[in-house]
Amino acid sequence: MGIEGREYPPVTVDIDAEHVNAFAWAIGADPDDGVPPTYASVYSLGATAPQLFGDEEAAIDFGKLLHAEQEFEWNRHPQVGETVTSRARVASDVSRRGLRFVTLETDTTSSDGAPMCTSRALFVIRS
Amino acid sequence: MTQHRALFQTEQIAAYARASGDMNPIHLDEKFARSVGLPGVIAHGMLQMSIAAVVAGKAAGGPQRLRKLACRFAGMVEPGDTVTFSAEETEPGRLQLRAVNQHGDVILTKAYAEFEPGLPPLEDNDDA
Repeated sequence: MGIEGREYPPVTVDIDAEHVNAFAWAIGADPDDGVPPTYASVYSLGATAPQLFGDEEAAIDFGKLLHAEQEFEWNRHPQVGETVTSRARVASDVSRRGLRFVTLETDTTSSDGAPMCTSRALFVIRS
Repeated sequence: MTQHRALFQTEQIAAYARASGDMNPIHLDEKFARSVGLPGVIAHGMLQMSIAAVVAGKAAGGPQRLRKLACRFAGMVEPGDTVTFSAEETEPGRLQLRAVNQHGDVILTKAYAEFEPGLPPLEDNDDA
């Protein structure tokens, strides 16, 4: 249904020290503990969600959008200085009772192509 | 059990918006937030999840050992709210996560983490 199965072009992201430190500070993490796991909201989800939101055919009204559920799985966490690549696809797009449920699944790989992180975001859009 | 009490403030929400790149005005602009039916600006779900992940990382013996994190954003968090986050190991390598506001409302449901066991989890109580 809808745009289920749609794939977006890969996005590369540099894991930048200054950016990681600002993120760690904002969430109260210790920057000495390495890249915070939920920095995946930047290099995985955050890198690809704008592709979905900016997709005219996806027709997602940003003002009616709710981030309802989130899941991250890691093989390992990135390190500062790495470049990673994130690829997203619409895993499901279902409407019922005036609500639309869109699941965006993003796979992030390291520069040698090894899997690093999978993000699954469920968005609910009110009609 | 590892626990942390967090007071949400507009400054932290704005800092998270800049650091994460999620500049949706519902988190930053009071007037816009009200215009879409919210009581005012609200914290990012990902900020809530990130704080839960910091607590989970401590319980797991280090954040780099986390292998999975999941949650449902069940309640809104507004500036001025105090949320108590906790992580408890229910079986080896699995943490039950909880986040409850000052009214006793659960704001994250179906929240859990999985980690690489090996070292025993740290027992600490961080109320900073």
